[in-house]
Amino acid sequence: AEVEETLKRIQSHKGVIATMVINAEGIPVRTTLDNSTTVQYAGLLHQLTTKARSAVRDLDPQNDLTFLRIRSKKHEIMVAPDKEYLLIVVQNPCE
Amino acid sequence: LQVFDAEGKDVTPRPLSHSDPSAAARRQSKLVPFSSYLGPVGLDFLSSFSTHQVSGANTSSASFSGTISNASTTESILDEIVEAGSQRDTAVNLPDVQVRPEEMKEELTKEDLDKRVDIYLTETETLWIFDMSSVMVSVEAEDAGRVQERNKIYTDICKNRPGNDRFVEKTMQTINGAAKNKEVQCDKIIMEDKGVVVTSWDLYDSFNILEIKPASKAEGSRATTGKSSKSHPTKEQHQTTSVSSDRGSTTSMTISESAVVARSHEEEECHSEAVLTSQNLQRDLFFMERILMENIFQPKLAAYRQFPVLLDPNIPSDTSGAVAAVKEAQQEEPHEEKGEEEQEEALIDASILSDLTKTPEERVPPSLEHLWSYLCNVTRAHSVSSMAWSKVNPDLLAVGYGPFDFKQKKKGLVCCWSLKNPMWPERIFRCKHGVTALDFSLRSPNLLAVGTYNGSVAVYNVRSRKDAAIMDSSQSLNKHTGPIWQLRWVEQASGETEDGKRERLICMSADGRITEWFLQKRLDCTDLMKIQQTKSEKKKLPSEKESKSKDLIPQQAAGMCFDFHPKDSDFYLTGTDEGHIHKCSCSSNEQFVKTYRGHKGPVYKVAWNPFSTDIFLSCSADWSINLWHQDSQTPILTLSSVTAFVHDIMWSPKSACIFAAANESRTEVWDLSVSTLSPVISRSAGPQVMFTSVLFAANTDCLLVGDSEGEVGVFELQNLAASHSNAVRATR
Repeated sequence: AEVEETLKRIQSHKGVIATMVINAEGIPVRTTLDNSTTVQYAGLLHQLTTKARSAVRDLDPQNDLTFLRIRSKKHEIMVAPDKEYLLIVVQNPCE
Repeated sequence: LQVFDAEGKDVTPRPLSHSDPSAAARRQSKLVPFSSYLGPVGLDFLSSFSTHQVSGANTSSASFSGTISNASTTESILDEIVEAGSQRDTAVNLPDVQVRPEEMKEELTKEDLDKRVDIYLTETETLWIFDMSSVMVSVEAEDAGRVQERNKIYTDICKNRPGNDRFVEKTMQTINGAAKNKEVQCDKIIMEDKGVVVTSWDLYDSFNILEIKPASKAEGSRATTGKSSKSHPTKEQHQTTSVSSDRGSTTSMTISESAVVARSHEEEECHSEAVLTSQNLQRDLFFMERILMENIFQPKLAAYRQFPVLLDPNIPSDTSGAVAAVKEAQQEEPHEEKGEEEQEEALIDASILSDLTKTPEERVPPSLEHLWSYLCNVTRAHSVSSMAWSKVNPDLLAVGYGPFDFKQKKKGLVCCWSLKNPMWPERIFRCKHGVTALDFSLRSPNLLAVGTYNGSVAVYNVRSRKDAAIMDSSQSLNKHTGPIWQLRWVEQASGETEDGKRERLICMSADGRITEWFLQKRLDCTDLMKIQQTKSEKKKLPSEKESKSKDLIPQQAAGMCFDFHPKDSDFYLTGTDEGHIHKCSCSSNEQFVKTYRGHKGPVYKVAWNPFSTDIFLSCSADWSINLWHQDSQTPILTLSSVTAFVHDIMWSPKSACIFAAANESRTEVWDLSVSTLSPVISRSAGPQVMFTSVLFAANTDCLLVGDSEGEVGVFELQNLAASHSNAVRATR
């Protein structure tokens, strides 16, 4: 319940373009975009997260990746990776 | 002997010749029982080598024993063929011991795949294929002498041979055995190449898993690592599953890996909805929201923290010249705890300060710039009645909401707001009655004391998310009967039993009593406890006519506010609704030390000047703010600007001459060193909105103003020349 509430609040914040929760297999659990775009995001970001995590852990195996932010010209993609899911929020921070 | 292949067809090799029953040739063979064969895994075993049958007459007496052994997947079978008594046309000889290669065609069950397969590599016995003893003897050996002698005799013979009569040369012909070629075909050994990129974290993980399960053997643990390593879930595992379905001698490693993976694949399918309920998702959403807020509010927060505001170069509306390229460094907030009291740091990295060009200095009049408002739809209908900063975390603000007009019986609300999320409070506590006063404790910074309209005091533990107070005074016998207008945690040197400072909760309410509350047992008690009130009730305020005895309470004045002296915590001032301000001492609970008369209406707030501690300020409903010196009975200065009740005042923590006031329609900032006639900054409220309280921020130049719509606006004080003087303003 609290999760749903927070998700709803995040979706309604200023500049948030998309919010997605993807499970470990790439299947979207909650998403505000259409399915094909979501699946595309999921696949690409999953690979990137794996690579980022591999890099972090190679440098220090006791460390682990907790959050990933990609700032691009048009917007910012924020990814919170976990063993069981992937939380992705796309925001356009400048108005 | 019957041999079947995978489909069950009879592919028994037919013998090339019939064995001769009378022949003495015997075939020596060995029957080696099935050696350890891998458990439940289906292996097709095709024994396809045919027996070498010796043709009738010519038997080569060389007995041949050889076995073919493969490392761990060995089954070696040699058939023993016993010559049957008669030669038959049907080519089948039934050996005595018939070993049928069995078809293991069991279906792989789930448990079988889970089973740990132990593969034992052992040495087989040594099979001597050829043994030729050495003909070299060391010079130092025991029979060296004998050998040497024989050698010598031999060389003598050889020397004598050529011309000797005793030796004759004669040639002979030997029979050469007919050799026959026989071909054997074996199953194709399928080799599979498997490569893994080994990363240092993979090694670390495998090592740690080995430590966790020390009983498993090395191969077994490698199989589990294959499951738990962070390799790509889709591709490689499907490949290994396809491999295992091949027949043949695939290694046990890949099979168990794929088997394990296939199982976990199925498990995950049922868990997709369970993802939403996981704790980690909640925590990640919490951080995500904060990061979003940071993005949205970044310029405002930078202004709050008094960093120069960086502009994003991508925004076309940018006008200033050299702007830093990066808006902010990537911030990751990994291990924040849920208790905000322990949080430290600014979100914003000030590493790029130097790049920003400064605007030219101008004489700009001071102003209040609105940064943001703490507002959400929960608080929208309520009016702000009091605000307090947390004593340890300067970014945490508690705001109490109660109805402005107490004729409506609306429920009260306490919200804890954090700087990191201006759009949703961190904690929401609902109270049955309107909240009129609150304060954070200094000693135990997670305790928040809340006073309400019905006179009850509740203590909340801000760390927990539950809506209930940990302590409540509703059952106390001596509780207040009127609304609590002010409460404060005060640290005082106690004259009683304990030495050192003690913290007390002091409340003042409309029934005229100032009381001190004790929290029974230790302060961090978590049971629902009643707060015991001390026996030393402080005050009964006398009525205006001093002739009445002090024990009677016919016309008790209601106390509206109090403030303890910043240096000497024995004295405090209280303001009453008659307009008097009394200076009282903790040591006497009957007499006032001094009374200051000046106001004609209820005094809503008194405040000692934090720098010049003889001066205090009071505001009242008679539209005026009075500045007093504690030695004089009349005010030094009276300030009035608008014909409206002044609800709240507060001295600035940074400067001795600046204070802020909230009257109904305006927020004003006065600077006594500049002008005593009009405020330096004045900001009007919107229509139908009334400002009810002000609070200065200690760590920054901002002012918080609460209004009757439930909004707490954060304003930055700009261009206010902060005079850090402690000078006392000379009286007029």
